[in-house]
Amino acid sequence: MRAWLPSLLRAALLAFLLAFLVSPGWFEPLLKPLVQDNAPAIYNQGSLLTLTLLHLRTVAIATIAAIVIAVTLAILVTRPFGAEFLPLSRSLVNVGQTFPPVAVLALAVPALGFGEKPTLVALFLYGLLPIFENTLTGLTTLPPSVMEAARGAGMTDRQRLFKVEVPLAMPVILAGIRLSVVISLATATIGSTVAAKTLGEVIIAGLQSNNIAFVLQGGLIVGALAVLIYDGLSAIEAAMARRAGL
Amino acid sequence: MIEIDGITKRYDGTAVVDNVTMTIAPRTVTVIVGTSGSGKTTLLRMINRLVEPSAGAIRLDGDDNRSMPGYELRRRIGYAIQGHGLFPHRTVAQNIATVPVLLGWDKARIDAKVAELLALFQLDPAIFAARFPHELSGGQQQRVGVARALAAEPKVLLMDEPFGALDPIIRAKAQADLLDIQKLLKTTIVLVTHDMDEAFHLADKIAVMDKGELVQYGTPAELVTNPATEFVQTLIGASERPFRLLSIETAGQAVEPGTADGQPVDAATSQRDVLSELLWTGRDALPVAAADGTLLGKVTLEGLARRAARPQ
Ligand SMILES: Nc1ncnc2c1ncn2[C@@H]1O[C@H](COP(=O)(O)OP(=O)(O)OP(=O)(O)O)[C@@H](O)[C@H]1O
Ligand SMILES: [Mg+2]
Repeated sequence: MRAWLPSLLRAALLAFLLAFLVSPGWFEPLLKPLVQDNAPAIYNQGSLLTLTLLHLRTVAIATIAAIVIAVTLAILVTRPFGAEFLPLSRSLVNVGQTFPPVAVLALAVPALGFGEKPTLVALFLYGLLPIFENTLTGLTTLPPSVMEAARGAGMTDRQRLFKVEVPLAMPVILAGIRLSVVISLATATIGSTVAAKTLGEVIIAGLQSNNIAFVLQGGLIVGALAVLIYDGLSAIEAAMARRAGL
Repeated sequence: MIEIDGITKRYDGTAVVDNVTMTIAPRTVTVIVGTSGSGKTTLLRMINRLVEPSAGAIRLDGDDNRSMPGYELRRRIGYAIQGHGLFPHRTVAQNIATVPVLLGWDKARIDAKVAELLALFQLDPAIFAARFPHELSGGQQQRVGVARALAAEPKVLLMDEPFGALDPIIRAKAQADLLDIQKLLKTTIVLVTHDMDEAFHLADKIAVMDKGELVQYGTPAELVTNPATEFVQTLIGASERPFRLLSIETAGQAVEPGTADGQPVDAATSQRDVLSELLWTGRDALPVAAADGTLLGKVTLEGLARRAARPQ
């Protein structure tokens, strides 16, 4: 396969997605065959563009919170003073991952009410594990001779962390973030069961009115976002890994 | 001057370095040898406090090395290790600048130092300064590792098997370069190695470690002529003794008056290499020339044989 072909496909997908979000009407003929005569083929209970942006916002907030907490936790438990908390924090984060997001929503609604907040909590908990585990892996598998040289050169603990450990672990940390983002992009749709404004709204509307075109367009937008964001983060990661000579 | 005074390191009650006392003179090369696990690395790492001793003290120019925080001490002591430990995410120039940056030197001074060291280690700054470590050969990486260790102009340079990963030809070159640089910068070098040829080539003094104890500390000639224990004897290799003696001194130190036929040998060549040349070419004498080409005299097979014999 030629080197430019994947980039071309990605650019085409991005153009297609943007066109669909800005002017969904253009694509009506494509989706029309999927619905009964009088039913709408394009989601008509709100702007797809607005829903997409709100969906992305929800994922972004939850992911940033998960990054801050997971990376901080991983750094703390890999320091000498935090080593004894490693098993505990591992199990905590694992529980966050195994607890089904639907159950988190059900439990969070009474406390936080309907809307975006319970969704954020569910996504945050669900997104912690990949970031935490990867940061841990990145920080504990650094080349021993490099760490030895960093100490031998007279770096303080903090200088070693920020000048050597984190930069070298960055590609692995980014891989965890990428995984977490993609999981969150898909999981965020269920937030609409508790009235969060996400693309799940389109899918749920389709299920309720037996409108396959709605389900399909909601699903495809989420899928396209996931593919594009995954690819973008992969490219950044590869560039960093190349720079780090890994 | 490095004074190691009754230094001991215990792990779980076992002494891996046991009450070692030795004084290392300034501007000399001291080589620590011994079998694997004899405590060489541990001893070396106690000098810059990468390992804290269980007992005893180490003084550098009279000051206890615990009189300042460990990281400040380490910024003043060069440290080069096997496998170089270069920072893979930093360029060659940034790697070399590590300690000067930690010390807060201004940019102009750092740039000048990096350029000076690259030139000293025969790495063209225009080509190598901006490269990343993975874009260098093993020999080049190793040179950058030593350049980084020397960047803040330390008086003391600690080296743990620095040439262990190099092929024999590059290693010989690295050893010769190290001696040149040591003479130029007048650094006190403490070097750990497994390689007895390397020890005899580089050392002003050799320290032999055996199961955590310092069993002998003396000049290479003393070790050959007067080994303190069976172990030292074995380490040197009984059949190697005459050749070890010859490898310590240069052709220039064995010059006799007179002339001989053949291609002159450089006065800096080791007597061992001259002997090899004599045997191989079937001659019994070769002329010796100074670096500038002036003839100094000759070296004879008979003269070398006398020098290789056990001192009476
Ligand atoms: N952090 C540590 N904890 C426990 N034991 C240690 C530690 N570091 C070193 N040792 C032990 O101390 C002994 C000496 O180790 P050291 O690394 O100083 O040996 P060495 O002479 O450098 O060996 P080599 O030639 O293989 O590098 C070994 O038996 C080693 O297992
Ligand atoms: Mg060792």
